[in-house]
Amino acid sequence: MSDGATESKKKYTYYPGCSAQGSASHLDKSLRAIAPEIGIELEELDDWNCCGASVGHLESGALPNTVLSGRNLALAQKQGGQDILTACAACYINTHSANEKIKKDVALRRNVNEALAEGDLAYDEDLQVRHACEVIVNDVGMEKIEERVTNPLTGLKVAGYVGCQTVRPFANTDAGGKYDTYDDPEFLDNFTKAVGAEAVDFNLKTSCCGGAISLISPQKTLHLIKQILDAAEEAEADVIATPCPLCQQNVEMYQDAVNKKFGTKHNIPVVFYSQLMAVAFGMDAKDDAALDQNVIRAKKLEKMARK
Amino acid sequence: MSAPAQSATTYDLGFARWVYDNIDGGDKLRMCMQCGVCSGSCPIGTEMDHGPRKLFMMIRAGMKEAVLTSNTMSNCVLCYRCIVRCPRDVPVAYILQDLYTKAVEEGYAEAKDSENARFSKVFWWSTVTHGRVDERVISAGYYFSGGLVEGVKKGLANLKIALGLLRTGRMHLGAPKKIKDTEGFKAILRKAKEIERREQ
Repeated sequence: MSDGATESKKKYTYYPGCSAQGSASHLDKSLRAIAPEIGIELEELDDWNCCGASVGHLESGALPNTVLSGRNLALAQKQGGQDILTACAACYINTHSANEKIKKDVALRRNVNEALAEGDLAYDEDLQVRHACEVIVNDVGMEKIEERVTNPLTGLKVAGYVGCQTVRPFANTDAGGKYDTYDDPEFLDNFTKAVGAEAVDFNLKTSCCGGAISLISPQKTLHLIKQILDAAEEAEADVIATPCPLCQQNVEMYQDAVNKKFGTKHNIPVVFYSQLMAVAFGMDAKDDAALDQNVIRAKKLEKMARK
Repeated sequence: MSAPAQSATTYDLGFARWVYDNIDGGDKLRMCMQCGVCSGSCPIGTEMDHGPRKLFMMIRAGMKEAVLTSNTMSNCVLCYRCIVRCPRDVPVAYILQDLYTKAVEEGYAEAKDSENARFSKVFWWSTVTHGRVDERVISAGYYFSGGLVEGVKKGLANLKIALGLLRTGRMHLGAPKKIKDTEGFKAILRKAKEIERREQ
């Protein structure tokens, strides 16, 4: 058991994003639970707003969409300028890319600040916007995860489904922390191994779930979700683990629709890596790991968890 | 002697230049060597009228109307595979994204496959009004954006999903979550729109 009082914690400004208050509230809950256990202090960004996700820009145009991130960056600067940490793929990709564009483009920064002035805000520093997984890889490290495990998930077979936007297009860039590759990332399997579970051979780890198109027109993308489920079943996985809110939602909630369309019988739980960690850290199944929030319950994982 | 057959396709030879100058990342389109890695990597190419490689050739050929009415842009799932794989560093998905924004602006996207545009409209409304997006509001708003019958149909099709989310505490029944400074937020976005118009 780690001793919070003597261990140094690094403080990050936490940007939960809209899904943290809805469909991915189990990611938010489990992340907040495990963070202090591995040396991460999360201070929520005060009055954060939506990032625009993958669709906002169509209606808003480019600058207003960038200004959404500009406002969050300005608020983070006001709050002390620590690195911004987000666990949501869409929040990360929008805020990170807007931030990097603003850093490089003087005219864009001037325009963003002209708009922000209407709300008495300004962004003139160069902050860092980081994905939670990158922070766990680069700042925390696997050793610290392994050390904290008191309840290893021995025998749990995990298909590590990374998805797209967590790693693309920034995981292998300097600004993105150069923490993994685009096609065959290893971090999620490393998380799985660190918590004592088995990372099964799963070759669709960066295959696409259809993203926002799955919400808009699922009939166009159900076959993509089917492929992911088929591969996980073939690998005999007990659970699919993912870092992405939209992947978790799409791959979980459309299993009925996939079964109906293709005559399959998929019923596989889709959990977040942070839920695995919470269970492996011996934390509470409900209050910390939020296992009661998976629509398809991860029964084998629940049995392993402290009640 | 008969007159040469009239082509149904119109060619706007200034279109490629317009894309180079006005689309985010469009200047890099000059680098495209038509290798097709983007189209080959696309997980949803089968749903598209044209893959990105072909669309880029159509841009060069000046087929403005065909490009802006194609469903290539609206079907892009933003997986970013094309961007990380392009050997010439063409930001393919970003170009598609901005092309679609312009197509919506100029009224082309209404012609075909407008579901994304409708979804985006509702999404943006929710963002501007509350500062945050409420998944219930955008789902319901989107379902009914195609009319009452379609709304009821789509709502019923997803009822089981909604109940599952409700049961697991991933959907709440209260008022939409809001930011504190909605007035400042709206003023900032109004100004951003104004600047964007001014700079065009």
